[in-house]
Amino acid sequence: MVTITIQELTKRFSGSVVLSSVDLQIEAGELFFLLGPSGCGKTTLLRHIAGFYTPDAGKIWFDDEDVTRLPAHKRGTGMMFQSYALWPHLNVAQNVAFGLEERKRPRKEIEHRVSEALSQVKLDGLGSRKIQQLSGGQQQRVALARALVIRPKCLLLDEPLSNLDAKLRLEMRSEIRSICKQHGLTAIYVTHDRDEALSMADRMAIMESGKLVQVGTPTEIYRNPATRMVAEFIGETNFVEGRTLRESSRAGYHDVETPFGVLRGRTNDTSWQPAPGQPVVLSIRPEALTFGNVLDSPNRFPGHIIDTTYLGPTVQYLLQVQNGPLMKVCEINPQEIRPPSEEEVRAMAGMNDVVILRK
Amino acid sequence: MSKTLSLLIFLVMTAFFACFFAYPIWAALESAFRGPDHKFTLEYITEVFLNELYREGLWNSFIIAVWTTLGSLVIALPLAVCYVRFAFPGRALLNSLVLMPMILPPFVGAIGIKAMLGQAGALNSFLINLGLMDAMHPTDWLGQQRMLGIIIMEVLHLYPIIYLNAAAALSNLDPAMEEAAANLGCNAWSRFWRVTLPLIMPGVFAGGTIVFVWSFTEMGVPLLFDYDRVTAVQVFRSINDLSGNPFPYALVTVMLVFSTLFYLTSKLLFGSSSASGGGRATTGREMIQLPPWLGWACTAFFAGVTFLAVLPHLGVVLLSFSKDWYGTVIPHSLTLSHYHDALGHELTLSSISNSLKYSALAMLVALVLGIGVAYVSVRTRIWGRQILDAMAMLPLAVPGIVMAFGYLAMTREGQPFHWLMLGEDPILLLVIAYAVRRLPYVVRSAAAGFQQVSPMLEEAAQNLGARPEKALWRITLPLVAPNLVAGGLLAFSFAMLEVSDSMILAQQAAHFPITKAIYSLVLALGSGPNLASALGVWAMIFLAVTILGAGVILGKKLGALFRG
Repeated sequence: MVTITIQELTKRFSGSVVLSSVDLQIEAGELFFLLGPSGCGKTTLLRHIAGFYTPDAGKIWFDDEDVTRLPAHKRGTGMMFQSYALWPHLNVAQNVAFGLEERKRPRKEIEHRVSEALSQVKLDGLGSRKIQQLSGGQQQRVALARALVIRPKCLLLDEPLSNLDAKLRLEMRSEIRSICKQHGLTAIYVTHDRDEALSMADRMAIMESGKLVQVGTPTEIYRNPATRMVAEFIGETNFVEGRTLRESSRAGYHDVETPFGVLRGRTNDTSWQPAPGQPVVLSIRPEALTFGNVLDSPNRFPGHIIDTTYLGPTVQYLLQVQNGPLMKVCEINPQEIRPPSEEEVRAMAGMNDVVILRK
Repeated sequence: MSKTLSLLIFLVMTAFFACFFAYPIWAALESAFRGPDHKFTLEYITEVFLNELYREGLWNSFIIAVWTTLGSLVIALPLAVCYVRFAFPGRALLNSLVLMPMILPPFVGAIGIKAMLGQAGALNSFLINLGLMDAMHPTDWLGQQRMLGIIIMEVLHLYPIIYLNAAAALSNLDPAMEEAAANLGCNAWSRFWRVTLPLIMPGVFAGGTIVFVWSFTEMGVPLLFDYDRVTAVQVFRSINDLSGNPFPYALVTVMLVFSTLFYLTSKLLFGSSSASGGGRATTGREMIQLPPWLGWACTAFFAGVTFLAVLPHLGVVLLSFSKDWYGTVIPHSLTLSHYHDALGHELTLSSISNSLKYSALAMLVALVLGIGVAYVSVRTRIWGRQILDAMAMLPLAVPGIVMAFGYLAMTREGQPFHWLMLGEDPILLLVIAYAVRRLPYVVRSAAAGFQQVSPMLEEAAQNLGARPEKALWRITLPLVAPNLVAGGLLAFSFAMLEVSDSMILAQQAAHFPITKAIYSLVLALGSGPNLASALGVWAMIFLAVTILGAGVILGKKLGALFRG
């Protein structure tokens, strides 16, 4: 269990900057997610921590040990590769035993720990199987066992679930999380799947073109996205552009003038007070919008439904706001399905759900 | 393509293979097992093993093959690792240069080796000049160590085959396989032995087997070294005996059995394990930037190997220009007269035109057959298409000398294919022999082309009203043309330098192809070797141009043709 500290890490590949002065601290025992669109540098950052890349500038610390120049095989991390990287010339048990053999553990102990690791990932008795004889889900479990059996300082997971089908993915999410928590492991998990990140992470970092855009808990990031990109990447949302008027009567809320009226919301960062007349962007999540008069909120606006998608637990509407943009509205546990029509409906959103972002 | 046409191609191909691949092998085998009373006998085969001379020949061939394979491995594996892993100055250029020896005919190089390692050769003169050798008692390198000379020559000729296979296996390896080992605490050295090497072993062995069988049955090099104590040369020498002599057939049969055994063993050992591993590669391999001195060491390693490998051929070039190369490091004076004389010599001009004629016709035959086989096996679903494909690749596995003897056996007087002899003109026989032997190259390059061109392009043409044959002709063939041209060029140039068929099937000077002309010139007295060198240089220039052409057209895929 180590605290991982990354200081001003910079890496260029043939001239183009893939990591630009990244600063990050991952606490001991934390399940930390690196999230971002493809090409944002999240895998590169993970591979720096594993020791497969050496940075052009900056440092990486495991607790108070500087590991920046330490070769990969001396770092004691356990990594799960996206392709699993299981060796086809070795069987399941031999794959899992490899790291212990490199650590020169006695044979008895190796046997014991391998079978323990296999049973932990529910592969008891499959030790003598060939890798090719396993299903994708089983291979994934072998890869996990192989990384765990060495009792790594930290577990590194590079999109470990991307090759599995949807149902298996859901199962493995909770399994990986519970194994990490059980061992108190520091774990860094790279993914581009926001549901994975939201459901599993203690904290996460959102990356974009080699930079950290925001670091925080899932709630912080979902509720208070730092930028438009984060708001959009972490979940569906509607953006409305406008200008702040003046501080409104209730403390902490601001009125914003938009093409279809004045909306009242809160800033994504309490320390920020937008100046009157400053151009801003509002982010309103589809599930924050409702029809009718159920909330005590000044944010009400008329429109009509132009498309309806029924999804079972939810129903999604596409709302043409009068004099305004198209907005997505998502109703949970819908009782009444509204068909598209010219009939006017009123939509509303709570003041807490209208988030003001810098433009 | 319509089903009838596919079936027709399938049947024609099967018939052709039955007549000109299976039957000749059968004919050679039959001659080895049939006694004078036309009854089955094992007498000749047992005699091969009882006769001390034959046993020694087999043993020597085996030893040569073992050392050639080991030598090639020792050279090729480090080269492949350096090439795939490290960035060093001149990497791309050296990667192609290091393949050069493969296209240089080794038996031509043997002439150069003799000029350099002979008693009055360049090496001895060099040592004498340095004062390291007594001028009165020069070492006869080749006289005492002819086997070593043969092994060196073959290693320098064949290592590119292992290099290509190993480099391909290495670059196909998912880098995550090694990274996973590093992550688990394995250092670079033990990573190579525990993970990398076992995973690339099937590729390395595929190449190793080709090298092994090739050197086991090689005839040209020992022949030019005048080394009679290997099976291939013993077979060749015995042709001049009475035509009824069954022993060459028995020897050839034994060679075939051994070669097949080597192939099967390596298939059994390494055929089943897949090297690719599970999952797709997810990370590109990052080339390691070496510190300058190590980088230049890699460069020097590549350049050194290349230089050593072309040294014999440089010797040939020198010899072809030298007026007098005796007892000096390099020739005293240079002359162009050998080239002039070579053109005037009765053997050379006719052999060049013969070779051009045979090779061009063989290329045509191989192209027609190869396109048919590749198309049927890639694009159709008819039963037996894989068998057809496998059949077309078999000539790679059967030693040339076996095939040559098969053709000889099946065209003997009284045999059903005797008419192929056309009296004494071997043209039909040589064309067929060349075409069958080089068919695998054409099939592989054509099949690669068909695999790259989506069948949907052809379907679109059919959808717009073109008949299947027309769609093939107008859409697919133009798109795979580069592959076909490259395959054809390879078939052509290898046919130009074919040794075993040419030596055995062409009996009269008027019908000699280039290779046999070179051989008989070497044996001639006076300026014979110089003339042979001049002819060899012509042949090498020719070959270099065609291979370069094929390389330009095929690009990186050229290497794929030599993989086992």
